[in-house]
Amino acid sequence: MMKQSTFHPSMWRVLLLTGLALVAVACQVPPSALDSEPLEPPTQIVYAMYQEPEQLNPFLASQTVAGEVRALVVEGVLGLDPDGLNYPELATRVPTVENGGVSADGLTLKYELREDVLWSDGEPFTCDDLLFTFEAAVDPDSGAVRRTGWDQIESVNCTDDFNITIQFAEFYAPFLGLFYAILPRHATGDPAEMTQWPYNRQPVGTGPFQLVEWVSGDHILLEPNPNYRNYPTQPFVDQIVVRIVPSREVGKALLRSGEIHILRDLTEADTPEFADQENIRLHGRPSSRTERLLLNLADPTLDSTDRPQEHPHPLLGDVRVRQAIELAIDKQFIVDNLLYGATVVATSEIGLGWAACDIAPSDYDPALAKNLLTEAGFSDGDGDGIRECAGCAHAAAGTPLRLKIQTTSGNQLREDTQVLLAEMLAEIGVELYIENVPSSVLFGSWSNGAFRKHGNFDILMYTTTDGIDPHRQMASYFHSSSMPTAANGGVGNNYSRWINPVADSALDVAGSTPETELRIEAYQEVCELIDAELPHIYLYERGDLHAALTSVIGFKVNPWNNETWNAEEWSLN
Amino acid sequence: MKAYVVRRLLQVLPLLLLISLLTFLLADAAPGGPLAAYAEDPDLAPEDLARLEAQLGLAEPGWQRYGYWLGRIMLGDWGHSLVTHRPVILEIGERLPRTLLLMGVSLVITLAVALPLGILTAVHQYSLPDHLLTLAAFIGQAVPVFWLGLLLITIFSVWLHYPVSPSQGFAWFHLWDCGDCAPLLPGGGMTPIGRGGLLLGARLRHLLLPVGMLTFVSVGTYLRFMRGQMLEVLNSDYMRTARAKGLPEHRVLVPHAVKNALLPVVTVLALDLPGLFGGALFTETIFSWPGMGRLFYRSAQRVDFPVLMGIVLINAALIIFFNLVADVLYAYLDPRVRYS
Repeated sequence: MMKQSTFHPSMWRVLLLTGLALVAVACQVPPSALDSEPLEPPTQIVYAMYQEPEQLNPFLASQTVAGEVRALVVEGVLGLDPDGLNYPELATRVPTVENGGVSADGLTLKYELREDVLWSDGEPFTCDDLLFTFEAAVDPDSGAVRRTGWDQIESVNCTDDFNITIQFAEFYAPFLGLFYAILPRHATGDPAEMTQWPYNRQPVGTGPFQLVEWVSGDHILLEPNPNYRNYPTQPFVDQIVVRIVPSREVGKALLRSGEIHILRDLTEADTPEFADQENIRLHGRPSSRTERLLLNLADPTLDSTDRPQEHPHPLLGDVRVRQAIELAIDKQFIVDNLLYGATVVATSEIGLGWAACDIAPSDYDPALAKNLLTEAGFSDGDGDGIRECAGCAHAAAGTPLRLKIQTTSGNQLREDTQVLLAEMLAEIGVELYIENVPSSVLFGSWSNGAFRKHGNFDILMYTTTDGIDPHRQMASYFHSSSMPTAANGGVGNNYSRWINPVADSALDVAGSTPETELRIEAYQEVCELIDAELPHIYLYERGDLHAALTSVIGFKVNPWNNETWNAEEWSLN
Repeated sequence: MKAYVVRRLLQVLPLLLLISLLTFLLADAAPGGPLAAYAEDPDLAPEDLARLEAQLGLAEPGWQRYGYWLGRIMLGDWGHSLVTHRPVILEIGERLPRTLLLMGVSLVITLAVALPLGILTAVHQYSLPDHLLTLAAFIGQAVPVFWLGLLLITIFSVWLHYPVSPSQGFAWFHLWDCGDCAPLLPGGGMTPIGRGGLLLGARLRHLLLPVGMLTFVSVGTYLRFMRGQMLEVLNSDYMRTARAKGLPEHRVLVPHAVKNALLPVVTVLALDLPGLFGGALFTETIFSWPGMGRLFYRSAQRVDFPVLMGIVLINAALIIFFNLVADVLYAYLDPRVRYS
């Protein structure tokens, strides 16, 4: 047995002191001691995001963050301001029927381009670049992700260097949004090899900034474009650093430490902790992302029926049941308690923008909901708190009013919402049971047999986003021709299998005229029909929420555009 | 011995093949895929998705895609990422040095701290410092890194500041209003951005928090292991013999005890080395360190299978290699171990 050794306290003291000294020295090395830093550091705004752009080519990227970075460099013909209105970027004006830029049938579109624009490498910007953008977008080998709309274009003609005429084969309602990012012909490559262009990581643009350095996974450094038309007046800052901060919690800590200036994409749940901080300001406004319940009106045991009216959902097929569900939901309570009042109750598919529908918020009236259910032939005969069918329209007698609600798993807000919904509906004798799935399963494709596409569900809950032009969203979710069926190969998003001939014809009108007034009327009509028949029940608008140090000036949330849309106006106090 | 090494090396290829096949099957069975990000895009028609699928080569049956991949990898072509469209070798090559830096520095410091302390705590078993260090080791092993990381950032980047202009004097503990102050330590990243120059000091400062955390959580393992080995050796017969010969205590400890106790540590270390290349996902995420761990995570999320396969293959090869090294090293260091 080894003897218990006598311990020399001095040894430990030495050890402890060495450790402390090491830490102290390391912390105290001022950054300038070992480095020769410039005396006047550049004015720098650090813009933090959680995801790294995969690349910046507007025709290949799928992520929002890619657009955020791209918009610093690349411009479109038109831009969208926070109110959803177009303003000219590379064009001299917004074409309308009145100023002759758009033909009366909406098939011919003319842009007059600015003549004072240079690409960041000094080459002149001309109509030919728009022509190239079109060629690249429609090239079948380009790997361009989105071709919708581009494939409606019959021809693109440059009348001279700064005038372009675009001829559409069919009316395409969001036609003003097509040339939202222009590719330079001279600094890209063969459209067939688009995925391999060096441009994708080193874009050449006409915008206020140019990309200087991209360190994968860490940051993207941008500096003013000396050929920008407002240079040197704008941009105001010397550098924008896009920093990849892979976790929201860390992002919030770095914002507090002042290491980043702008943190994009917060949730409503993050708002309380910033409420009383003097040096941090929350920038938010409701977005066009609407969280809703999507109700299946067709028999969920059938595979993608194209005759939902003959095969209605046994419970949800009766409009009174759907009305009762909406009346039983206290939407304001959800907004106040789960979303910290940071956003608003949703009322319709189009909540924002030029085509916003005017629909009153639904009432919270559980008593009326109960009456409706009783009237529809659902009563609680066995006293277990859940109503059963007793003379209801589509279900066998005794069928309990029990519905499955599904959303993406792992989303706290959605899960909390589900719990509240289940409690609220239990009040009126409707049982909701939760069966969540990963988003890749919920949003799976027709060919993979996704239950959403094939109609095997009761209630889904998720968010969809309408673009500035609501037409694609409206037509694909509410036109009867958009029901995914075997006949159409599963195309369309009318998962509710809602058929309404009046809505169909209103949507047809809205999709075939460039007359804004007519379109607004048509969408309003469809919104009212949705509100009456409830294929969807709208819960709340998600907020566009970002935080910035108060020293940042000019940051303006824009629900229709990238948050960097006006970065040339950003400055530091 | 030679025959043994040759036999082990011959096993490597089939093993790698099996690992790549399993990885492929797992990735292929995962829901979603590189195109899942587009699934909810209303501007994307199903025919667009089908076209993209064909262009990325995802439309073919799995065995065929695996066959293509295998054929190309034999020729040294690692393929392109399905998400960024960049060569896999570039994606990995960019991240590997950063991960090696972070993990390498951490490992060196971990060993420099853990081994002496392990020896000390063994020699002074059941003393107060032994108890304290053992407790600290357990805390380090038990504490969740994401919590610890956020705590470190809060303390060293949010709370503690140093003045930027020396005229302000020294400023500790300025919560919000420190005028011209900067965080004492950067809470993330590898280097200050956009300042130019080598910035050696600044780079060191950026290393401090992640390395400190990695060291704190991994010191415990080595410390406990070293202590255990040392105790075993200290209680062995030859130690008694050495003391009986009348050797002074330091001659007993260093050449006899420490040398023998280090043998198993060397093998454990060899098995840990592949981790240098794999990175540490949580640490990299918390301290915004763009290393291998995060690349792997991103590739797994997007089912970017060329990148995924590349990383798994490299790591598998390293693990196999270092296992072999550990075995050989052990035989070399310990004459009692013989492979025949």
